[in-house]
Amino acid sequence: MKFSFFHLMPYTHLELESRDWPFPNRYFDPAKASVLYRSYVESMIHAESCGFDWVGCNEHHFSPYGMMANPNLIGGALAYSTKHAKIAITGNLVPLNNPIRIAEEYAMLDCMTGGRLVAGLMRGIPHEYLAYNIPPGESWERQREAVQLILKAWTEPEPFGWEGKHFQYRQVSIWPKPMQKPHPPLVISASNADSAKFAAEMRATMGMVLLADLPSGKECIRVYREAARAGGWEPVPENILVGMHTCIAETDAEARRHLEQGLKYFDQVLMGGLQVSQRIVLQKTRYFESDESRDRWKSRLDKRRTLTLDEQIERGTVLCGSPETVVAQIRRIHAELGHGVFNFTVKVGTLPDDVIRRGMELFRDRVLPHVRDL
Amino acid sequence: MQPQASRVSLSSGELSYYAAGEGRPVVYLHPAGGVRWTKVQDELAGSFKLLVPVMPGFDGTPAHAPVKSMRALAALAAEFIDKVVGAPCDLIGCSFGGHLAAWLAAERPALVDHLVLECPAGFRPRGHGGRPPDPEELKKLLFLHPEKLPPETKTPDIEAANRRMLPRYGYSPETDEELLARIPSIDKLTLILHGTADRMIPKESVQLLKSRLPHAYLVYIWDAAHAIEVDQPERMLAVLMSFLQRSEGFMVNWGTLAINPG
Repeated sequence: MKFSFFHLMPYTHLELESRDWPFPNRYFDPAKASVLYRSYVESMIHAESCGFDWVGCNEHHFSPYGMMANPNLIGGALAYSTKHAKIAITGNLVPLNNPIRIAEEYAMLDCMTGGRLVAGLMRGIPHEYLAYNIPPGESWERQREAVQLILKAWTEPEPFGWEGKHFQYRQVSIWPKPMQKPHPPLVISASNADSAKFAAEMRATMGMVLLADLPSGKECIRVYREAARAGGWEPVPENILVGMHTCIAETDAEARRHLEQGLKYFDQVLMGGLQVSQRIVLQKTRYFESDESRDRWKSRLDKRRTLTLDEQIERGTVLCGSPETVVAQIRRIHAELGHGVFNFTVKVGTLPDDVIRRGMELFRDRVLPHVRDL
Repeated sequence: MQPQASRVSLSSGELSYYAAGEGRPVVYLHPAGGVRWTKVQDELAGSFKLLVPVMPGFDGTPAHAPVKSMRALAALAAEFIDKVVGAPCDLIGCSFGGHLAAWLAAERPALVDHLVLECPAGFRPRGHGGRPPDPEELKKLLFLHPEKLPPETKTPDIEAANRRMLPRYGYSPETDEELLARIPSIDKLTLILHGTADRMIPKESVQLLKSRLPHAYLVYIWDAAHAIEVDQPERMLAVLMSFLQRSEGFMVNWGTLAINPG
């Protein structure tokens, strides 16, 4: 089993109250953010010495939910401060950006890290489409076209042009090209059947986060495996990434207390405005290809929001407890899902950085030795 | 635009051709299925004098006894340009016609101005792609969007007769090594077009061509199989017209792609 230390980089200096979207940036204090960025990046660097195989972050806009408008900048900060860990950018929001720029920046990171990039090519959650003024109904078309264009930019041996529906380039010849051949490993989110099929079609690692329960995760994995087989390949466990909120402390009670506190801020503040914008996008557009996918997505988030922490632990959708408890939880979830990459979201809301640090050390000393060989 | 059907007498026999439009001459060499007049030909004829010769034996025309190879067919196409155009012209070849156009440009460079090779045959690496004999399989490889196909005007007999001409001209699924050796000598400004979903002519073919041609641009047309003209005529025209009108300047964004022009 590989373990990934994922950082959402939230802004944590807000009052506990929900707001509309977009979250007014008059509440943003750059001096406080400067301290947060440094602390977050230092945690990510430290993660390597705690035995994490991947260190990752992702892209979000216009919200305290995550301060990484461009996660590739964080990748650059990690490139020379880490030695062995994969730098997992999970990922750039492909339909919202210039795909050639993504191909270039990822290629830079791959060269800068000596071939340690894991390249996430994500469609993005609905509110990001409001931020960048991209029609949500075009999200799938843009995603499909842009991913193919990025792969071409990485792998074509000669300069080429691209005449597409959403993207047109008369000649492309990126410098640098990625170090890993034919290209860096891909991660594509696969939290519903449509995206699971697409991830399989692209031979990407499937990524699932914020699961409502294990059976729904299992179903996505089934769809992914089936689509992969139909496409002529067989995924290995490392092609399945499962991400969860994680809190490890000396005792179960301590871990629960910290995570509960962090989740309160996560759900009320960080997710607050996003829920408003997501409701608008989902009601008014064809962000999802089918009503079924839309309803399943909504119900997944609704379910997660209404569950107590105890219920989430019971369902196996968060990792929380003493090292021994977390070992048991990892074993149980692995037995159910058979995944090969476990992605820990450790900075849950306002969960204190010193608690996270201690949790990372407990992971290294008392968790990892018991689950490495899963 | 309704094309005018005509004939011209050449050294090996009579050759049928279609003509439409006014302006700088553009000669279009058709694919193995024969002449299909699509939106692409219509638009070309709106800006150029478009000439589409029907290769002997295709679309119900008689074969020419001495013409039995791609090279000989290229010589016949060159004779057509000499006689009907009488000056260098832009040359477009589609698939089988692309193979032919490359031969013509290698043999008679003085007759060619811009060269366009649209999913050209003749450069397939061994074991890649190919033309299946089964018509239904063939259709799947030709069209990603068969719903865009205009009503078929050719009878099954004509389609079968067209297919029978391929071996006569030495059509092979694999690379024409003799021609490949001459590709570096083609110094014409060349546009190579390829559908991103083309499984009949694999991308390795056009990558090979691009690497050998000294002045070539390769452009992929998204969401098109082998029959780019049917699957994505607008995308093909956006590139093709700009290339024919602006040469290297086709690489410049002239504003027509802007989201909010004006």
